Amino acid sequence: MKNLKKAFSLYWYFFRIGWFTFGGGWSIVAQMQKDYVEARHEIEGQELLDIVSVGRSLPGTMIGNVAYLFGYHMAGVLGGILSVLGIITPPLIILSVLTVFYNNVKDNVLIAKALVGVRAVVAPVILSAVLKLHKGAFPQKLCFVLCGVSCLLSLFFHISCVLLVVLGILSGLLMNHHQKGGKTPC
Amino acid sequence: MLTILQLYWSFCKIGFTSFGGLSMIPLISSEMLSHGWMSASEVSDIVALAEMTPGPLGLNCATFAGIRVTGLLGALAANFGILTPTFTICAVAALFFERFKQSDILKGIMIGVRPVCIGLIWAVILNLGVSNYFADWTPQWGSMLVAVVGAYLLIRRKWSVPAVIVLAAVLGILVC
Repeated sequence: MKNLKKAFSLYWYFFRIGWFTFGGGWSIVAQMQKDYVEARHEIEGQELLDIVSVGRSLPGTMIGNVAYLFGYHMAGVLGGILSVLGIITPPLIILSVLTVFYNNVKDNVLIAKALVGVRAVVAPVILSAVLKLHKGAFPQKLCFVLCGVSCLLSLFFHISCVLLVVLGILSGLLMNHHQKGGKTPC
Repeated sequence: MLTILQLYWSFCKIGFTSFGGLSMIPLISSEMLSHGWMSASEVSDIVALAEMTPGPLGLNCATFAGIRVTGLLGALAANFGILTPTFTICAVAALFFERFKQSDILKGIMIGVRPVCIGLIWAVILNLGVSNYFADWTPQWGSMLVAVVGAYLLIRRKWSVPAVIVLAAVLGILVC
């Protein structure tokens, strides 16, 4: 019963922030970080980062996966489903309306300018989240190398994120193995 | 009815074979053209529209295509198509992840995966930075100003993301 109430409150939460999904869903991650990690302390920054890592590496839309994993973590299967439905409702409404008025919207100068502004702010939005997520994500020096290498590989060689996550999994296993072998890593 | 099933199935395939963002576009394009649901110029219209409106690209394309082809029911079918991986693969992953979170192996794995994920987020930021603050290597001062104001409000003044996005839209009209 408590979960049921929580699941519906998740729907409402994601419905409210779903209107502001920009930058491929990263703005939502940033807002979740502010609300659930910083303000309510209901989830650790690292747990959110884990959810994002897993959601990002599975097929499908990232933010759908992230919403499901987060909802499931908070309130079970129903929480997952309602979180996804919550996050997709606003885009569904907006796009349905826009598709009808597409020709009027396409050439509107004011809308185009407003969108240039919105696009300009997406990078700082993601930045504000990633700065917070850094905390605790680098327990070993090797982690910094891993972070830098995957950033460069993705930027300049367009290596798919799935491959990079596999690289992360293997390095994680190796680092773990080393630690167990009694050697101090790095 | 058949068209609705076809829409579901097309977007289901798109969902399973893509990993977010722009990687979906070629698939969407070939699915739309092969069913005769859209012309090539309509496909580029969708991408433009989906990029500028809130919401993930894949879902926006699904809604646009669905409505164009058969109306709201089609849009719903296409949306559920693209979410099928979430409700199957991701649902199973969630189950396992929650169950084995405390295991040493999964903890070890996440120590490697977290930095990779952060690296990927930095790559997204840098990519967005290049495309939004430079047009053919000409600096876009208006956009940079909006970005600085946004960063200040988010990081120093603890504004919420929606508030900053609304302000950025207003600033865009004024300075861009």
